[in-house]
Amino acid sequence: MSDGDPSSDGASPAATGPDQDVAHILAIATRRDRAAFAALFGRYGPRLKSWFLRNGCSADQAEDLVQDTMLSVWRKAESFNPAQAAVSTWVFAIARNRRIDAWRRSPRRELDEDDPSLAPPEPVSPDAVLDMAERDSRLRAALVGLPAEQMAVIRLSFFEDRPHAEIEQALGIPLGTVKSRLRLAMRRLRAHLGDMTPPRTGRDGVSS
Amino acid sequence: MTAGHPNHHPDEETLARFSAGGLRSGRSLVIAAHLPFCPECRATVRLHEAIGGILLSDEPETPLSDGALNRALARLDEPSRMIEPIADNAWLAPGVPMPPVLRGMVRSPWRWLAPGIRRIALDTGTAEDVYLLRVDGGAGLPEHGHRGLETTCVLAGGFTDATGSYGPGDVVELAEDVEHAPVADHGEACVCLIVADGRARMTSWLARLVAAAMRI
Repeated sequence: MSDGDPSSDGASPAATGPDQDVAHILAIATRRDRAAFAALFGRYGPRLKSWFLRNGCSADQAEDLVQDTMLSVWRKAESFNPAQAAVSTWVFAIARNRRIDAWRRSPRRELDEDDPSLAPPEPVSPDAVLDMAERDSRLRAALVGLPAEQMAVIRLSFFEDRPHAEIEQALGIPLGTVKSRLRLAMRRLRAHLGDMTPPRTGRDGVSS
Repeated sequence: MTAGHPNHHPDEETLARFSAGGLRSGRSLVIAAHLPFCPECRATVRLHEAIGGILLSDEPETPLSDGALNRALARLDEPSRMIEPIADNAWLAPGVPMPPVLRGMVRSPWRWLAPGIRRIALDTGTAEDVYLLRVDGGAGLPEHGHRGLETTCVLAGGFTDATGSYGPGDVVELAEDVEHAPVADHGEACVCLIVADGRARMTSWLARLVAAAMRI
C-alpha cells in the first residue's frame, strides 16, 4: 500500500480474503480496529474505484465515493450481520447507496441508515455464518458456471447498470433475448442456491 | 387487495437498476418503499447485491490517489452527519407512523390542497418532484396525464383507476401518455409516495385549476 503505515493500535492484518473480511469487520465493530479498517480499505478501495469509474464517475468522484463508502463501512460495522450477507455483498450495497446519494444536490441523508434490503439484525449463530459463507461460495461457483452469454447480460444489467435497451445494442441481440437470458440466468442461480422462490409470472410489473 | 402482499411490483429492469444504484434517488426511494412490503423483490435485490459483491471482489484494482488511506483514517473520528428526525407532528394517516425509509425527508406537516386531499413535499435534495399525497377514502383526483414518468408506491389504503386497483406496497409506473383519474377506495385514506419527472398535465380547465392549487 502506498500510504505507509496506518496509525493503528492492533497487529497489522496482512491477509485479505472473504474469511479475513468478516474478522476485520468484527474487529472494527468490537474494538474500532484501525488496522482492520486499513486492510479492508486496501482490499476494497481500489476495486470500488474501478466500479465507480465503470459506472460513469469521474476519477475525482470515484475517489470521493470510495472514501464515503469506506467511512460508512467503519461507522456501520456494528450493523453487519455475517449470517445475513457476505462482506462483499454488504460493501457493494453500501457503495450502491453512496452512488444513489450522489444524485442528490445536497447530501442530506445516507440511504443505508435503513438499508431496505437488510432485515433488522438477528442473533448470530456460528452455523448461520457458515451457511452464509457456503451460500456465497455456491453463488460464486454458479456464476462461474453460467454460459458466457448469460454472464454478459448479468454483468451489464446489475453491475454496470445498463438499461436493457443499451444491452440490446451493446451485445447486438434483440430486447426479448436480453430479457430471456437474464431470466434464465437468474433461474439457474436461484436453483444453485436451493432458493426455490419461483419467479413471478403473469402478473403486473413483469413484462413478458 | 391481498393483505400484506403487494400485487404490483417494479419491473425486472427497474429492480436491476435499483440494485446497481442507477436510478435517480427519487425513483430509488419509491423502490426502497416497496421492499419492506415485498419478500420476493427483497430476495431478488439481495441476490443482485450478492452477485454485485462477487463481481466487485473480482474487479481489477485501480490505484487510489496518494494518501487516500491516510485521508480516510483521518476522517474516522469525525462525527457522523446526524439524520434529522421526522417532524413530531408528521404521520402518514391517523395512527399510522411514517415509514423509516422517509426518515429525515419529512420537514413539514400535511398541507390542504383540495377537499379530501393533502400533500407533503419531501425534501430529498434531488431535481425530481417527490411528495406524499393523502386522499380521503372515496375522494379522487381530476383526470390528468403526465409530462414524464410518474412512479408511485402505495403506503396505506388503496386507489382505483382505469388501469387497475392498487393497495399497500403496490408500485405503479405511469408513462407520460397515460391519463387517469384515481379514486381512493372507501374507508381509510389512501397515502402514496409519488415521484414525478415532470408536472402533471391536466386534461380539463377545471382540473387545471385544481392542479394550480395543488402544485402537481
